Amino acid sequence: MSVKRHRRRIGVVVLGLAYALAVWWVFTRSTPLIQQRPVTIRFAHWQIERGPPDGIAAAIKRYEELNPRVHVEQLLIPGATVYPQWMRSNLAGGTGPDLMEWGSWLAGQRDIPARYFTPLTAELAKPNPYNKGTSQEGIPWEKTFHDNLLVPRRDSPEPGQIYAVTISEATVRLFCNIKLLQQCTGSTAAPTSFDDLRKIIARIEDYARRTRQPIHALAGSGDNGLWIAESLFSAPLMGVSRSIDDKGYLYTYNRDVLAAYLEGRWSYGSPAVSAGLRLVREVTGAMKPGFLQLHRDDAMLEFFRGEAVFIYTGTWDATSLRRMAPFTVVPMRLPNVLPSDPEVGRYIIGIGGEGQGETSVAMYLNRYSEHKAEALDFLKFLTSVPGNQLFTDASLWLPSVNGVKLPEEIKDFRNYQLGHSFGQAPYDIIGSEVNGEWKRHFYQLVGEQGSVKQFATALDEVMPVAIRTDLQNEMRNTLLLVKPQDALIVANAEMATATPTDGHYRERQLEMEAGQTMSEGLALQMKLVLDTTTIGKR
Amino acid sequence: MLCPLLAAGAASSADLNEAWLAIANSHPKDALRKLDESDPARAVQLARAVALMAQQSATDDNVRAAEKIFVELATGNDEPADEAAYLQARLYQLHYVQPDYAKAAELYQALAQRHPRSHWAQLGLVKLALLKLYVVPDTTAAGSDRLAPAEALLAQISDPLLQRDLNLQIGQAGVALKQPLARFLPHLVAADRVGGITATAREDLIVQIGVLSMRAGDWAQAKKYFERYLVEFPNNVRAYDVKLNLDDAIRHLAKRAGS
Repeated sequence: MSVKRHRRRIGVVVLGLAYALAVWWVFTRSTPLIQQRPVTIRFAHWQIERGPPDGIAAAIKRYEELNPRVHVEQLLIPGATVYPQWMRSNLAGGTGPDLMEWGSWLAGQRDIPARYFTPLTAELAKPNPYNKGTSQEGIPWEKTFHDNLLVPRRDSPEPGQIYAVTISEATVRLFCNIKLLQQCTGSTAAPTSFDDLRKIIARIEDYARRTRQPIHALAGSGDNGLWIAESLFSAPLMGVSRSIDDKGYLYTYNRDVLAAYLEGRWSYGSPAVSAGLRLVREVTGAMKPGFLQLHRDDAMLEFFRGEAVFIYTGTWDATSLRRMAPFTVVPMRLPNVLPSDPEVGRYIIGIGGEGQGETSVAMYLNRYSEHKAEALDFLKFLTSVPGNQLFTDASLWLPSVNGVKLPEEIKDFRNYQLGHSFGQAPYDIIGSEVNGEWKRHFYQLVGEQGSVKQFATALDEVMPVAIRTDLQNEMRNTLLLVKPQDALIVANAEMATATPTDGHYRERQLEMEAGQTMSEGLALQMKLVLDTTTIGKR
Repeated sequence: MLCPLLAAGAASSADLNEAWLAIANSHPKDALRKLDESDPARAVQLARAVALMAQQSATDDNVRAAEKIFVELATGNDEPADEAAYLQARLYQLHYVQPDYAKAAELYQALAQRHPRSHWAQLGLVKLALLKLYVVPDTTAAGSDRLAPAEALLAQISDPLLQRDLNLQIGQAGVALKQPLARFLPHLVAADRVGGITATAREDLIVQIGVLSMRAGDWAQAKKYFERYLVEFPNNVRAYDVKLNLDDAIRHLAKRAGS
């Protein structure tokens, strides 16, 4: 009898606890036990530094308040090693997220936009509805971006189409431990020319030697070494790029530089290119020995320990530097190599420019997304004045959109250098094969055993085949997009006839016809170079 | 009596539209599932052939199966016939593992002769011109002038947008084939006049006409295009050099006016 009563009491207690738990859940949690929003879109990127995940989360929170039907899931995928494989396997398996970040520099991933993404050109021609009541109201979406989407236009697999929108803006800066600079050189003045920086580096090295302290001018790692190498290497290349600009674009695309190499118009041993290599050797000499084996996190730690006066990195690291450094960090511009430079000045045509800033973190819409309309709508919110303001305030990363107010801490990053800018990329990253060979042989340039001559000779032995392969790949990637468009053009034409009141299909058909012809023309130009040159032919 | 027939017809038309929509959304397999292989309707057969050529991964077997249907359809005298004839040429230019440019050129030419005003024939003439510019040059027609055969085809095109696209391609081929500036610069200007060129292609074209005009000594045209560039793309990295070139053009024009 008492056992029965005891059991009943336990039952009542369990029931009471369950009720209490349910009451607690209802009043303390905003989300239901079972997800009730009918649409979930997934947004994947590799910006896992401090800042962006908070910025995107802030925008998502507001978007979900405005759109109760939609849930946005932010996927943070580590960039360097995981993201490319993760992206390709998910896209190939049909499980790719609705929106995803992509960059043209990701090795071996150039074909991804043509295979899996969809152009946004027609949408970009219309105003962004989320800009209503702001300074950007009524302006075509494309024109609301600070740089009119320079990078997505440049990286587009079709010259007539834009495939992405950007959510931030980045540049590279020489971040300085100002107290340590004062201690080593007796001054806190920022260098005004590369020759000035050269002298500061010499003084820091002298200080380290005299005081026997493990201090280097630049925090070193393979990543930071390559970033600064690219910036300096570009300086004497502007003259080379100008000399091969037959098209009159005042700009050379990678395919133009690759073609010019196969036509014998430049080589790594050319005096101007070697001058660039000399600058790279000089500046990487200011990093600690063995830097090539280290990663960007190691360079950050070296800088935080007070063992390096400068760290050359992107504004993408600025939030981390500001939050984690136990000293005052001052961002400076990497000074220009000037025509008056005593070492390489004769190869410099003028000051190198940063333009007015390039927007970045380019987000693409998956062609196979089941929720294209919702995903596009979220992109519009994220790149509207209110959405981008939320991102900027919470991340302290620069906005991509005009009309967003800059927080005080990042105002300086918009102080850009005006000057010449002649190429899509320095000649170490004009193709993935080229970049692979550059990295494989880079040790022959740096350190006590390295030399410019040795490196240039090694590159000119291996690059002919690498460059021919990269141009072939560029051509193939262009054709990848051209081929499937035949079916799409006819299908859109048929849909336009079947639904005469919907102008969308006719618009898309004509847009694709124009884009396809342009891409075919480009592919045929590349074929012409490959067929009529002999350099690098096996 | 009529009701079931009408219903069948309506369903078939809806299925066809769904199939085209699936192809337009890059899902050709879904399209094939919606189409009845034994349905003799020409529109259905066209959709089937297009879905077959769009299959992933692309194989010559699929392309051959599509071609067989295109050949049959092309004998007709309607819109599907022109679409089929155009697509058959595309198969030889792009879709077979081993392209046959000469055969593609022959098919484009035949379609243009049969139905010269058809959109597909006109689009085919643009593609034919590209082949003549780069891979099957017409050496008999105009000697070493590589642009002339494409210009002859341009004269047969009446659709302004397709004229624009071919003008742009003749202009770009002029650079690639190292032809005299005066031969191809007017084609680039003509392409720009029609308008509607978007994205990077637009930006490139505006700078290009400015710079090539300068090289040709047409300073007034150079000035016009540089000024336009700076209005449209004031923040671009090229703006600095465009400004320098604009100053140069203004200096030359002032000098000429002075003398």
